[in-house]
Amino acid sequence: MARSITSLDDVTANNLGTFKKINQVSLPTSYSEAWYKEALNSDQIVKLAFFSELPVGGVKAKPLNLSSDLATFDSAVGAKLVPKMVPNVVYIETLAVLTAYQNLGVGKQLLDHVIDQTKQKYIHDVCVHVHVTNTHALEWYEKHGFEQKSLVKDYYKLQGLESPDAYLLYLKV
Amino acid sequence: MASKRAPILGNKEDTNFNEALKLYDSKQYKKALKLVDANLKKNSSHAASLTLKGCINYYIGNKPEAESYIVKGLTKGENNYIVNHLAGIYYRAVENYTDAAKWLKAAIDNGSPNKQILRDLSNLQVHIRDYKSLVSSRQGYLEFQPGYRANWTGTAIALHLNKNYKGAISTLTKIESIIKEHLQDQDMYEQSECLLYKNDIIFQSGDVQKALETLEDDKPFIKDMLSFLEYKAKYLMVLGRTQESSIVYRQLIQRNPDNIEYYKQLEICLNIFEKPLSSRIKLYENLNKFYPKADPPKYLPMMFIPSSHPAFKEKAQNYILGQLKKGVPASFVNIKPILKNPKKLKIIEEIVASFFENALSNYDPTIKVWGLYFLSQLSLYQKDLATATKYIDTALEHSPTLVELYILKARILKHYKKYEAAAQIMDEGRQLDLQDRFVNSKATKYYLRANEIDKAVDLISLFTKLDKDAVNGCKDLHTMQANWFITESAEAYKRLYHQYEEELASIEKTPENEEIIGSLHDKIETYKGLALKRYTAVVKIFDIFFNDQFDFHFYCLRRGTPRDYIKTLQWEDTIHSTPIYVRVIKGLSEIYLEIYKEQQQKKAVEGEDDGTTVIKKNNKKNKKAKAQSLKKKESLIAKVESEKDDADPLGTKLLSDLVNNAHGNIIDNLLKLSQPLLNEAKDYQFNWELSFKLNLIKSKYVLSLQAIKNLNSILSLRGRITSKIPQIEQLVTELGEAVSKDESVNEAIKKVVKMGLSASLSDYKEAYEPYLN
Repeated sequence: MARSITSLDDVTANNLGTFKKINQVSLPTSYSEAWYKEALNSDQIVKLAFFSELPVGGVKAKPLNLSSDLATFDSAVGAKLVPKMVPNVVYIETLAVLTAYQNLGVGKQLLDHVIDQTKQKYIHDVCVHVHVTNTHALEWYEKHGFEQKSLVKDYYKLQGLESPDAYLLYLKV
Repeated sequence: MASKRAPILGNKEDTNFNEALKLYDSKQYKKALKLVDANLKKNSSHAASLTLKGCINYYIGNKPEAESYIVKGLTKGENNYIVNHLAGIYYRAVENYTDAAKWLKAAIDNGSPNKQILRDLSNLQVHIRDYKSLVSSRQGYLEFQPGYRANWTGTAIALHLNKNYKGAISTLTKIESIIKEHLQDQDMYEQSECLLYKNDIIFQSGDVQKALETLEDDKPFIKDMLSFLEYKAKYLMVLGRTQESSIVYRQLIQRNPDNIEYYKQLEICLNIFEKPLSSRIKLYENLNKFYPKADPPKYLPMMFIPSSHPAFKEKAQNYILGQLKKGVPASFVNIKPILKNPKKLKIIEEIVASFFENALSNYDPTIKVWGLYFLSQLSLYQKDLATATKYIDTALEHSPTLVELYILKARILKHYKKYEAAAQIMDEGRQLDLQDRFVNSKATKYYLRANEIDKAVDLISLFTKLDKDAVNGCKDLHTMQANWFITESAEAYKRLYHQYEEELASIEKTPENEEIIGSLHDKIETYKGLALKRYTAVVKIFDIFFNDQFDFHFYCLRRGTPRDYIKTLQWEDTIHSTPIYVRVIKGLSEIYLEIYKEQQQKKAVEGEDDGTTVIKKNNKKNKKAKAQSLKKKESLIAKVESEKDDADPLGTKLLSDLVNNAHGNIIDNLLKLSQPLLNEAKDYQFNWELSFKLNLIKSKYVLSLQAIKNLNSILSLRGRITSKIPQIEQLVTELGEAVSKDESVNEAIKKVVKMGLSASLSDYKEAYEPYLN
């Protein structure tokens, strides 16, 4: 069988820098060291995507309970599953692909992985925040079946982004 | 070990001694020592006991005292073969192989009945390259133990090393005929190696026809078919049977189509140079059809087709674009040799640029980034740093997760001499993949170039074994003989102390600045010591490299691998020409010469006043500062210690020994250090420049002249220059001036120098004439 040109691999302590790099150059928001360390925990859904053996994309998502506070970027990124609470939604924190490698199916493969993991955990919802001005991402998520649920006011306010609102998108799986 | 048949014993001491020797042989050193001491109490000049005491002392760890007993024993009993033998054993243990050989030889000459000594002696003789004496000891041992093939091979090797081909061949042939009937399965590889060895000697002796015939006769016994074919092809070619030879070379290409050497030999066999270019091109087109995956059939035509020929562009295009389209990271490195031709470089640049403009959109994004990587390297090669930067920055923006790009970007910054920025970029690349040993080493090296030694050591320590109680991998790097790291560290320390020296020179020597000046002096001394320490460590490692062969003198004979053994000897004979060693001696010589110059200046100043310019030190203040600096030093030592419990971790003693020695010694030491370079690395310009300088200081004008001559021939060859070389002119003038000024120089020497100059450097007549008339 011929090897596929795109592939996924685990994030490890050794290539965490690559994951960081991809987020740094692709996303307007920044993440703490602790957040990156958390990516190594086993409850997280984290993968790096490779195109022709070159790391070009990454995803980090985590199972949460719908009651979690997702009102602002900081609370959402910091949100953790409270012990004894049943996880009933997978929240995508970051999903990024380097600009030069977009529209090659890399993002789709990452998303499929998240959906796969969600199903395995018997969870039926995936959700994600998207910056209101990021029409490219909005279109992409809608193309893959996400629906806009609500507008979150001032979601990115503390990040100093212009027009700090975000849409919360949902996908039923 | 010691003889079984002891000499006739005359007295009680000898009986006692014999008992002690037995105990010593069975490693019961304490008991042996008791007996020996008892002996010496009665007769303090009992030579054998004295020598044995030396050996015992060495083995129980009392090393400093050992030698004095050996020396005493030897003066009392120079002609006693037991004394000689023990002395030989002692000197071999301390790796003084020359003296060890001398005394083992003496033991034989003084009638020792112990023939095993011959074997030990021959190992020592080959180690110190005393080939002449080697033959008789190997032959002697063979007569004693003719039942082992190893001893016959050993004798043949000794004869071969003395260029006695006939003797070597007949020795090998003799054992072959003896052993023929007794060969077992496990002996067959040794048999094959020995046959090929003999064959190579027959070839070296000049009888190529005989070599070829023997090779064919021995074919059924030869296991190493690659060597068989290579020998055969070579012999046929030398014999002028090129048609047959070409067939064998084609067979070899079939075995390994990536070995460029076979293609070159094939060309010679086919006499391709006297045929039109088109047939040479055709040859490679055919070869390419046969071996489509091999590199040489595609690569070699780009070397020989002239740039003006239309085929060049076609071949280059296929080769380079073929690799670029596959995203081969080494595309640039593969064609680097071709770029020496500027016209070809231009064409290649056009090919890639046009591909970039027209065809890129058909390929996936990685092709773009490898292409940019290629173009950036091409610009860097042409020293166009701005364009190189432009390409690499675009590439980095495109694919910021590709480590190779960071390495190249750092290299470009290095060429801009922005060492700190280069190190940071390299480190950024390193962080993408912490498992990448290569980029970790690179980042370490770049931090060392930026003089950030602590950071560098911390990085490289991620990949070293951490010894117990060690704060970093510095010791392990010395154990592992990481010469590149040790040398780069030495150079960093040297840059640092030079920097502080400059700072010191720019500071006004007033009492207010006393503290700063003191701390600068401290730093200079520390880093100078460390630089010396590191450089010396590499020199020591090369001594170890050389001595590492010792065990092989015996081992290879037993394993029956004479061909590889001879190659090892040849390699060991030139290890000092390794570039890193030359670099180390260069660095070391600069420090030595600096110290020498300082001493000369000091001497001149001391002649004028009595040196009261030194600032008097404020004692109270100093005490506190001293305690503080002591503490600092301890933490520094923990970081830089290169071996466990090092008595001189900072190289302080090394430095003070050098500084406090009489000034002549520095130059003598340096001459001794650089001697291996003059023997083994004759093509290095630096070696002769150093030799000139040192010999001029020592007033050895004839040797200086020799150095200029060698330098001249290197430089003229390199630049194919026929006109005068300014550097040579300068040196000739210096030599002429020195000789004419020196009143103590013998007239005869003057004459020799003058004659030498006019004989081989007559172009520079104007430079030396004014002085040598």
